[in-house]
Amino acid sequence: MKLGFLGATEGGRIGKWPIIILAGMVIAVVAFLTYINVAFPRVKCEYAKHLKSPDTASDCYACHLKATPKVAQDWYESKHGVMLVKCFVCHGQPDGKGSVPYAVNPDVNTTCRKCHDPSIKKMEKKYGLKLECNSCHPFHQNSIHHKAYVKPVAKRKI
Amino acid sequence: MDITRREFLKYTAASSAFMAIGGPLAFAASKDQTVDHWVKGVCRFCGTGCGVMVGVKNKKVVTVKGDPNNHNAGFLCLKGALMTPIIYAKERITEPLIRKNGKLVPATWDEALNLTASKFKEAIKKYGPTSVAYYGSGQALTEETYLASKIFKAGLKCNNVEGNPRLCMASAVGGYVTTYGKDEPCGSYDDINAATCFFIIGSNTSECHPIIFKKIAARKQADPNVKVIVVDPRKTNTARIADIHVSFKPGTDLAILNAMAYVIIEEELDNYRFHSKYVNFMDNQKNKRTFEDYKKFLEDYTPEKVEKISGVPAETIRKIAKIFAESSATMSLWTMGINQRIRGVWANNLISNLHLLTGHIGKPGATPFSLTGQPNACGGVRDTGGLSHLLPAGRLIKKREHRNEMEELWGLPKDSLNPKPGYHTVALFKALGEGKIKALLILCTNPAQSLPNVNKYRKAMARKDNFIALIECFRDAETVKFADVVFPAAFWCEREGVYGCSERRYSLIGKAIDPPGKCRPTVNILVDLAVRMGVDPKLVPFKNSADVWDEWRKVARPTPYNFWGITRERLRKESGIRWPCPTEDHPGTRIRYVRGEDPNIPKDYKHKYFFYGKPDGKAVIWFRPYKGPAEAPDKDYPFVLTTGRVIDHWHTGTMTMKVPELRRSFPNAYVEINEKDAKKMGIQNGDRVLLETRRDKMVFPARVSDVCRPGLVFVPWFDVNLMINKLTKDAFDPGSKQPEFKICAVRIKKV
Ligand code: SF4
Repeated sequence: MKLGFLGATEGGRIGKWPIIILAGMVIAVVAFLTYINVAFPRVKCEYAKHLKSPDTASDCYACHLKATPKVAQDWYESKHGVMLVKCFVCHGQPDGKGSVPYAVNPDVNTTCRKCHDPSIKKMEKKYGLKLECNSCHPFHQNSIHHKAYVKPVAKRKI
Repeated sequence: MDITRREFLKYTAASSAFMAIGGPLAFAASKDQTVDHWVKGVCRFCGTGCGVMVGVKNKKVVTVKGDPNNHNAGFLCLKGALMTPIIYAKERITEPLIRKNGKLVPATWDEALNLTASKFKEAIKKYGPTSVAYYGSGQALTEETYLASKIFKAGLKCNNVEGNPRLCMASAVGGYVTTYGKDEPCGSYDDINAATCFFIIGSNTSECHPIIFKKIAARKQADPNVKVIVVDPRKTNTARIADIHVSFKPGTDLAILNAMAYVIIEEELDNYRFHSKYVNFMDNQKNKRTFEDYKKFLEDYTPEKVEKISGVPAETIRKIAKIFAESSATMSLWTMGINQRIRGVWANNLISNLHLLTGHIGKPGATPFSLTGQPNACGGVRDTGGLSHLLPAGRLIKKREHRNEMEELWGLPKDSLNPKPGYHTVALFKALGEGKIKALLILCTNPAQSLPNVNKYRKAMARKDNFIALIECFRDAETVKFADVVFPAAFWCEREGVYGCSERRYSLIGKAIDPPGKCRPTVNILVDLAVRMGVDPKLVPFKNSADVWDEWRKVARPTPYNFWGITRERLRKESGIRWPCPTEDHPGTRIRYVRGEDPNIPKDYKHKYFFYGKPDGKAVIWFRPYKGPAEAPDKDYPFVLTTGRVIDHWHTGTMTMKVPELRRSFPNAYVEINEKDAKKMGIQNGDRVLLETRRDKMVFPARVSDVCRPGLVFVPWFDVNLMINKLTKDAFDPGSKQPEFKICAVRIKKV
């Protein structure tokens, strides 16, 4: 359907301009992605790989410790890390076949409310509807005011 | 927040770029999670018993969230939050199955029920009522266990009623009953918010009771002076919030606990007024002794002597004993590390000893609190008397007055109940192997994977001359392989019923959806089966679980378990109520054995504490000597093997393995080895390692870390393909009959 709309001309023959435009667009997208890949090698989620070896697709932390060490460490030190609320609880799975939808930015209504419904309701009452929890309570760094979680034992070897 | 703005932008840019590629896929997967209505329930997994709200849309469960009004205040751990796919698993059994020519084939309800009933009748006729048995579960509803136990004990006059709580909670029951006279904890989860010291021993709370761990962590966060002591040979995730983590030689905990008592007395930190008024001292032969005798008994357990036994520095023992005693309110928490031992009852007693010695009991935050493993082991099996030596509500089969009381309540002729307790779990499966049990009904549990030394009992189940009927939801459960008949049961929120969690709290699981196919609620299956077996229909006049509940309330009313006030209507409205709860306007009980808190104690009773389970109202400090494990490591088998859970999986994995995230998070079992041991043997992460005990051997991938102490290895038990229970030992506590899953000797080799 889409291709027909873009490329078909009268008589069913395909004109060359639409193809050139299309090709150009594809090249631009590929170039952009390549640029991202090369420029920010540390932060790519190679989820395509996980799809090939689904057995380890949920062990996000193992890879992200190398791929995005900062994010992984922040999570580890955060409340979610101490409580073992693992990556897939909020982000789902890269292949989208898990019990929560796959999302880099989890949806507040479907995901956060599973546990934080009471607090979200409280905040709604106080400030009106404000679903950007992350802007004040960064998900992965929730230990910043909460020194108690960063216990010496966590770091020290006994 | 120290992530820089640039980094943040990078992260966002990259993520959105990849969202773009992942777009179509992600959208395909993002289900509509809006909800028509919410139904109140309880989590299906651990003994924490979190309240959940089940979100239903178009008669299907689409999501769950925490129940804000239950004790968990809206929070769920990862298992609880992700459990929806289990309901719709393709492995659900949706029609009755009968084994024909070695294969399970679909059958009608009538065929399956009649066949089972005739096999039971035949066995009873030929070999007497002790030739049949029931093996239940701490995951069945309270109503289901009460009913099954009644059918067998009152209907068939057969006391072979057991269940998997024998494998997980029996020692805690033994501990509470011997110390206080009555089972079940005296405190509640409320104590967590008031405690100033947590003494966690033999429990990886963080992975096995995550929401309780969350409460403890939150308590510590609110007050930095709160101390957390974790005593465990593994440095688990629980130790992350610990002020002190004490590692010790596995199996030496009884000595450590006695040494703590020694230090408490030596430092004069005991509460003399409390224990001289409310406590009896007793030696192992049940003779009354004095405080002075106790001191003398403890002389064998000076910290210096115990250091040699346990490997814990004497200084550390002194330190934790002092913190325990000096805090304003100490709460002890323990689970399988203490219970699954050949002296599990003693270990339980010794923890209570510390509380009775210091008076850390019956005050907000001060309590010895045993955690249950299963969602309904307490409320379902311990309370309703679903074990072979029990009758409902703390009554004992061997006591004639208890039997007579039950006979009257059940409308049976006097002295008609069988006075002889039945087989305990290990003996039951042993008897099955010896051909003494001819017909067995198994409900909601998976013994072909969960029994210790399981090869032996799989052989027993495989015998051709016995008949095994199974009420089960999933066809891939290992025990299905041994079943002659399988009844398809309604799962979790497909029928209504009550779960009772670790803190004596009864909560209702509401019915959210209809069961699939021909599945039926277990209560109806049991009633139908009982009538066909020839049980007097007057004994089972129940249409649904609500009817059973009302009878169970009546049966518990004359006892200290009294929860007459917890009516079905109240359960539908409220998110759980703690017994005792004698009247409908009673709010439930936080603290037992204390005047003004426990409704079993008259308001004008002359003392503050009353341990009414004991004849003179006094609790007991027991002189329990140190005893090592049944199979200590030696020259041939130099390592200790221990087993347990990981947070992602629950029990035999028949449920959690159906959740894609959880399955992939831990697809298989592994062996956890200390890095020093690994180095010595040249083992690296992922290497294949052979574990061999006196019973069997198996190869596991290695995970090298500092979690296990040197000399100890750990294997989780969820994996059906790497079934660690083929290696564990079936030695059991002579008191509680609970097996020692936690310790056996093993040798390891890189392959
Ligand atoms: S802590 Fe236990 S009861 Fe609560 S959500 Fe998790 S598994 Fe369920």
